[in-house]
Amino acid sequence: MDDLPIHNIQISGTTLASLLHRFFSSSGDIHGLLFGHVSFSTTTSLSDDLTASSSSAASDGPTLTATITDFLSIPSHFPLPLHHPHNNPSSVLLGWFSGRRKTPLRPSLKDSTNTISLISSTSHSFTPQNSPYPLSLPPSVFLLLTTPFQEQLIHTHEYKAFQYRVSSYSFDPKSLAIINIGPSFRSHYGSFSPISPFPSMSCDLRGLNAMVEDDVEKVESLMGIKRGLKDQKELDLCAEGFEIGRLGKLMGSDASNYTGELEHLYDKMLVKLDSLARLVENSSAKVLEQENHNMKLRYKVAGLE
Amino acid sequence: MAIDAIPPLIAAQMNYLVTHTPFSVKVENMCTGGKNTGLLDRFSLVIPFCLDYIKWDVIYNAVYPLAAPDIIFGPEDENFRPYHALRDASDSKSLKNPLTEWNSRDPTRLFSLVLQLRESYKAYQKKRVEEVDDDRLKFEISTMLSREGIEMSLSSNIDKPEEVKFAVPLLDLDLNKMVAGSTWRHHQKIYLQVIYPVGRKYSSAPSAPRLKLVSSPELKAVFSIDDFRLPAWLDGMCMAEYLPTLEEMLESQIKDAVSFIESRRKLIMALAPLFGRPVEADPVFCRKATFLSSSGVFTFLVHVAIPLQFPKQQPSLMLQSSQHFNSQGLPIKSPVTAEYPWSPRWETSDMADRIFDFIVEECLNFKKYCNESMLQNR
Repeated sequence: MDDLPIHNIQISGTTLASLLHRFFSSSGDIHGLLFGHVSFSTTTSLSDDLTASSSSAASDGPTLTATITDFLSIPSHFPLPLHHPHNNPSSVLLGWFSGRRKTPLRPSLKDSTNTISLISSTSHSFTPQNSPYPLSLPPSVFLLLTTPFQEQLIHTHEYKAFQYRVSSYSFDPKSLAIINIGPSFRSHYGSFSPISPFPSMSCDLRGLNAMVEDDVEKVESLMGIKRGLKDQKELDLCAEGFEIGRLGKLMGSDASNYTGELEHLYDKMLVKLDSLARLVENSSAKVLEQENHNMKLRYKVAGLE
Repeated sequence: MAIDAIPPLIAAQMNYLVTHTPFSVKVENMCTGGKNTGLLDRFSLVIPFCLDYIKWDVIYNAVYPLAAPDIIFGPEDENFRPYHALRDASDSKSLKNPLTEWNSRDPTRLFSLVLQLRESYKAYQKKRVEEVDDDRLKFEISTMLSREGIEMSLSSNIDKPEEVKFAVPLLDLDLNKMVAGSTWRHHQKIYLQVIYPVGRKYSSAPSAPRLKLVSSPELKAVFSIDDFRLPAWLDGMCMAEYLPTLEEMLESQIKDAVSFIESRRKLIMALAPLFGRPVEADPVFCRKATFLSSSGVFTFLVHVAIPLQFPKQQPSLMLQSSQHFNSQGLPIKSPVTAEYPWSPRWETSDMADRIFDFIVEECLNFKKYCNESMLQNR
């Protein structure tokens, strides 16, 4: 495993905001995993100061930039969900974060043991994008979030990013750059790939000729068909109201005449979204109820009533 | 839910720690890490180390008090990683991390964790000091190593020059046993604090280290280190030469101080036949005694405070009326006085007689003083 210094750690404004919100709204301390990508960038400093840019380029060469795009958070008394399947191919496990209220902004004993165990398991190492030579990096990013001791302060959160260096056994403080959308941040989106993975649903309906295969496979294929039919049913439920035939009307030369059709389609979509939102609302209420119940049980266990 | 309550499991561990450590630990900055609960689950521990203090933050989780706590070390100790040696097979003294097998029901857990961590912190600081590239320091360490219980630390403040601090425990005496009937909970000890500036260059005449005597605070009742004059540090001296002389001087003075307890006790006993049995007396160090006395109908208390240098220094006296009160309802007291005939060469019974004679006279003045101040208040 290679222990290369990461020069920049970046996080999108929305990801950081969402992380801070999760921390702020949690009942206790939280921790979790950070996902994103690491890329090599040759220094393209656009400064007019030729001497400065040339000297830094000469000394640094290509630099590593880690970009946090995604995170997964859980209350910190649960262990980190390291075996959680993460299907997104464009992001890898970069490291982890810990959020604890009213504590000094320094890595703790547990932070360092957790980081070491994360780094030392080789199954999480990854190869950075556009790497010029074969390279395997450990998930060495650590993001620490705390709240200030005094409640009257203007700011409500403090955070600090680190990279754990295996060579020196220490946390290297790194600056955390917040990337927002806008003209001045355009260059940051050079390597952005707007790919959202489609849910992996196998709806491969086998042809009828599968029926004539030998007996051993018959049962298996029957099961397959059954599953396929079930999946198809689920898909149909999603597409309810706009069959392929109707969709066809939206294409071709006379599509412009079907604005009514289009509006109907959108209406249906809105109704579906609305019912989905209600579903989420109801289930959130149930989750909250369960959490409150769990909290009461925990207090009972801890000897508090 | 009670506001600002400590969950019982956490409180049990914290209290056990505070009451059982061989050194005195203080708990500070208790606060809550929960959003809506007032449950206090994190605090700072102030732990004495090398005649200074280290501050560690202990973080429990009130939402889940069964979990092991987390610890954040001081800002200057970022490189202190106590359970790191677990990985190095070469380190035979590798520690087992007690946090991995935590039992929240066992109140001794935090206590043993802090004790273990302090030990490894001691080893960590020792290693840092030994790595300092200074010939004189290396020599001093090699000659002092035979002494047990030396603590050392390397101060690495950015705005101050580097220094190495030693806390050298002096005298192999059990002071707690020397003072009969002492109720000291902690082990009483006297230390020499030695501070060496780190000079990386060789110099033929290195400057003297900064020396200071430090004792555990409770020892003041018997022996005051402020009264002790450190022997001079001669040019080219080293600790191994300095310490035996110092210890010899200190030992004889402490023995004297302990024998003075007996002479103070004799004085209190000599006062008893004259004043009656003391209302209150310090039976261990015999530093103070209070007698109830009267002159006619005027009843008053006599507070006798006996200094450490008794009989060289005479006791100071204060009278307190049992019948006169000031406007706040507090009994009227006389100023503390030690101006009465005295000679350290008198017999103890003579001393007691002189004190009694002085009080007989003085109480009349005090009665007048009491009556006057009562009149003023009216």
